[in-house]
Amino acid sequence: MITQQSTKDQSIIMRTEGVGKTFGRFVALKDISAEFRHGAITSIIGPNGAGKSTYFNLLSGAFEPSTGTILFEGRDVTGMAQHKFAHLGIAKSFQITNVFPLLTTHENIRVSLQALVSRFDIFRPRTRLSELDDEAEALLERVGLAGHRHRLAGSLAHGEQRALEVGMALASHPRLLLLDEPTAGMSPEETRTMMDLIVRLAQERTVILVEHKMKLVMGISDRLLVLHHGELLAEGTPDDIRRNDIVKRVYLGQREH
Amino acid sequence: MAGLTLDLIGLQLFAGVALGAVYVLLAIGLSLIFGMLTVVNFAHGAFYMLGAYVGLWLMAHGGNFWLCLVLVPLVVGGIGLAVERVLIRPLYGRGIDYPLLLTFGLSYIIVELVRITFGKSGYPFDTPDVLQGAVDIGVGFFPLYRLFVIAATAVILFGLWLFLERTSFGLIIRAGARDPLIVRVLGVNVSKVWLIVFGMGTAIAAFAGLLAAPLQGVIPEMGGTILAEAFVVTVVGGMGSLLGAVLAGILVGVVVSMTSLFAPEMAKVAIFALMALVLLIRPQGFFGRAGLMS
Amino acid sequence: MATDLAFEANRQPSPLLQWATRHRVALASLFLLLFPLVIPFKALAVMILIYGLYALGFNLLFGYLGLLSFGHSALFGAGAYLCGIAIVHFGWPWYLAIGLGLLAGMVVALVIGALAIRTRGIYFAMVTMALSQCVYYLFYQAVDLTGGENGLRGVNVKFITLFGFQVDFLNPLSRYYIICSFVIAALWVLSRILASPFGAVIEAVRENEARARASGYDVMLVRLLTFVLSGAFCGLAGALLALHLSTVPIETMHYETSGLAVMMCLLGGMGTFFGPFIGAAIFLLLENLVSVWTSHWQLFVGLAFMVCVLFFPRGIWGTVMEKMKA
Repeated sequence: MITQQSTKDQSIIMRTEGVGKTFGRFVALKDISAEFRHGAITSIIGPNGAGKSTYFNLLSGAFEPSTGTILFEGRDVTGMAQHKFAHLGIAKSFQITNVFPLLTTHENIRVSLQALVSRFDIFRPRTRLSELDDEAEALLERVGLAGHRHRLAGSLAHGEQRALEVGMALASHPRLLLLDEPTAGMSPEETRTMMDLIVRLAQERTVILVEHKMKLVMGISDRLLVLHHGELLAEGTPDDIRRNDIVKRVYLGQREH
Repeated sequence: MAGLTLDLIGLQLFAGVALGAVYVLLAIGLSLIFGMLTVVNFAHGAFYMLGAYVGLWLMAHGGNFWLCLVLVPLVVGGIGLAVERVLIRPLYGRGIDYPLLLTFGLSYIIVELVRITFGKSGYPFDTPDVLQGAVDIGVGFFPLYRLFVIAATAVILFGLWLFLERTSFGLIIRAGARDPLIVRVLGVNVSKVWLIVFGMGTAIAAFAGLLAAPLQGVIPEMGGTILAEAFVVTVVGGMGSLLGAVLAGILVGVVVSMTSLFAPEMAKVAIFALMALVLLIRPQGFFGRAGLMS
Repeated sequence: MATDLAFEANRQPSPLLQWATRHRVALASLFLLLFPLVIPFKALAVMILIYGLYALGFNLLFGYLGLLSFGHSALFGAGAYLCGIAIVHFGWPWYLAIGLGLLAGMVVALVIGALAIRTRGIYFAMVTMALSQCVYYLFYQAVDLTGGENGLRGVNVKFITLFGFQVDFLNPLSRYYIICSFVIAALWVLSRILASPFGAVIEAVRENEARARASGYDVMLVRLLTFVLSGAFCGLAGALLALHLSTVPIETMHYETSGLAVMMCLLGGMGTFFGPFIGAAIFLLLENLVSVWTSHWQLFVGLAFMVCVLFFPRGIWGTVMEKMKA
């Protein structure tokens, strides 16, 4: 469509306009308008039940919003089928670890790479797509799993599985990487490794991160969105958020773990 | 079409509701079991058939129809309890297809055991004397027994409704049908709930089989054909939804009955055409939730 | 139902297993070519070929994609009926009739699949079963074409002529080898599909639907395509059945025939390359043996089902594979 809304500001990669989501009578999210800057790490934070995951699922195309529109690079992607998001350049990792458990680590990445190259070829041997093997190898290296290429993904340690998932997300060469609580359930050491990885990845692409541990993302985020009871409570740089009285009040007494 | 009057259509409508009543009872049981246990009971038709045969046996051994109405659900429900406890329980947590396959195998065994015991050919099943004849229902004379089937179904539904709405056990079932996880979170003894729900489902199926017996006679294969139709009803109504099962059951009954009036050879096909239509328009069924079983 | 089962795609395979996997088509072909020399009943051997192929097609959906269909009798039956109808009513040559049967399997799969795929998970078995019953009634009613209750009779092919050669189709051994050549071709195609990029997608969707979707795969389309491919194998099997039996019984369409495919797959080992044939062979051999001394074969079918589900979910070949891995 030619009438498609063009981004007024080239530095905005994703924008939501008045999006909301209701499940039956339950309002999980209402009227969120926000912009995500190109090349930045934006974190979506908030206490449990604030609507972070719902918002994430709208951004990543898992849910269709009940109201509002979502624009990616100026293009309306509201209600688009989930699988098309990968082709647009949006990739995600899940909150609950989500790999192909009975495939090897290498095959997990390879099959993710293949999604952009060959989906319905039923007759050529897949070994012909040898460039995918090399690329998968490189991605495994990237996320620190080069030594585990022949292991079944289901047998990897939790932290390794999460790293693998990030590798699979990278396979679609995303310009926007969405990560839902990437350090959930990780040991402190695994958490540090993952945060380092995220910072490195963010040098080449935009990252949106959902996290309920505020401290963890303060240091690495360029911008933060604070959700509370399904509404956008505050938005700004880490310093803005730190100084924000309302945010303080919401988080007061909220123990961090 | 000559002879096609409003009265005839009205009568046929009633006949459809009577037929639908049997579907409702079957679908309620399927839906209950699925809603709680996430088990698709492929032996449901076999339990239905078993209900008719147990009734047949009781009648031949001095029982009467009214006694059967009480004893048949108890006997077959008891068999259902044993099946859940011994055969299905080991399969929980091993993937949704296993219990389905097991009940499919079980249906073969039940049908074959009935063939061994009662023979391969069918029997007629006498309508109880007091329920013979017909009554004027305004649009014409309608078989009394069919009215009884509708009434008996209504009684069962009312009883079930009371049980679900007014007892604490019913509350657990309703919560569980909405979200199986809730029951576990509430700290209820899940395996007991599942056991009883499976027993109830089979008991209601057997009751339906007994009710249907005077209408169509009994043969070992009677459960096989109706199983597919009961599936249609649950899909149309929405899996796990009891209200959906009731409405869809009556609807399917009426559709069959109306189609047989206009194009008898298409009556069976109409059921499935209805399902195809519902799948196209509303894949989760009338009252099913979109996200169920995702 | 896949996750707790061993699959043939072994990750650290022993050299023997690797070798067997690489040459699986050749090995299977060799076995099938020698089979009639071992087994005395040629007609039974042909039935094993046909039902093995049917179970193979079913296995593509059930074992490899992880979708349990109870509607495969409609694909199998449509293949049989259309092949038979083409010969009986329209006098088509045998090869065109087989082609029509194969196509019929795909078309019916497309229609049933397109409807059933709109539902999820456990619904799938119910909806496919109900839709196959719909096809059953349609064929049952179309008496002029299908013979209705009596089945379609007179699918008589006496000679198979190809490139000027004439082979006697009534000779049991030559009949076996003619049908066997189709089955071997089908095995080769299946092997190609499994080894193709799309084969990887099938596995990925089975393993984790949500992840596959997030990676950019249209899961619904993958399922539909696999269903249609499965329909091609089952349609071909049905067509061969019509030629072999010279009739098409209406029971071919009944959902119990769907259960047969499930049984054979389960018995042999679902998601394995050789499993469906092993399952079909053992099932049919047992049926022949048991039927000699009791007419209640169905009782054994039910028992076998329950025993497999409860104690033996990997099936025969699946268990062998397990042992070889260990």
